[in-house]
Amino acid sequence: MTKQQIDCELALKQIFEYVDHELGEHEHAWLEQHLRTCKSCFSRMEFERRLKEKVGALREDELASPLGERIKSLLKSF
Amino acid sequence: MAVSREVFEARVLALLGSLQGVARRLTRNDADAEDLVAETVERAWRARDALESEEAFRAWIFRILDNAFISGLRRAGARPQLESIERADEDAEDGSFSLFERLHQPFLLWFSNPEQEFLDKLLREDLDRALAALPDRYRVVVILADLEEFSYAEIAATLEIPLGTVRSRLARARGALQKVLWQQAQAYGLTGTGAPAGHGGELESVPQRAGPAARSACGNEGREQ
Repeated sequence: MTKQQIDCELALKQIFEYVDHELGEHEHAWLEQHLRTCKSCFSRMEFERRLKEKVGALREDELASPLGERIKSLLKSF
Repeated sequence: MAVSREVFEARVLALLGSLQGVARRLTRNDADAEDLVAETVERAWRARDALESEEAFRAWIFRILDNAFISGLRRAGARPQLESIERADEDAEDGSFSLFERLHQPFLLWFSNPEQEFLDKLLREDLDRALAALPDRYRVVVILADLEEFSYAEIAATLEIPLGTVRSRLARARGALQKVLWQQAQAYGLTGTGAPAGHGGELESVPQRAGPAARSACGNEGREQ
């Protein structure tokens, strides 16, 4: 296994934590550096980032009513 | 610490939309979702002395919601769903599925960038259906991470699992979600690859296409015709 392959394998293991902003400072800096030089890992990261964005866009601010009224009555009853 | 009535009410009302949204995706049913939120608020009020700090309120009340949801499954005797919850961290294969790798193959590179094109044309309804098809334990972790933007620490607190389990379960859940999206695209006849749909094990339900709109979920319409 070449160093590049080892680096790519490590990068792919950290991709989700990267797109979730959960990497520590050191790991984040290392991965950013790798992504600057590796087109393949960069494409994969971009794919995961965009897919996460699309999933996130499913979120709706759900209607509060009639649930809102029900919960307000419930809160008053406590 | 006990929160005051004012703080409790304000926090609940501020989170009501999120609670309802998550409840709807868990129960897949509006009426059940409303009952689940109401039960959650009642349970939370009764247990308010157990809240450690105001900052922990969001994770705390979502934990109560999740527990109430599982209690509801038990009451309903929903054995298959409960079994799938217990097995959530056992299926190592889900985590290894990568939609990117499926799309990024030489015979699909007739297009400049098949995976980006796939995402460009991926419809909300396709994603909605794929998310709904996930087993409960996978669905909830994707909802918390991607829709509600919880940190891993908050997810750990909400689901009462270690941080390492959050990482691995989220990876499995995303692999499973991508597998469903791939299976959908194949079911629509859009991938043009003839690649095996069931690689890495089948999910329980592959959502069926809804209509012509779904066809655009992959960028290679007509390749197979």
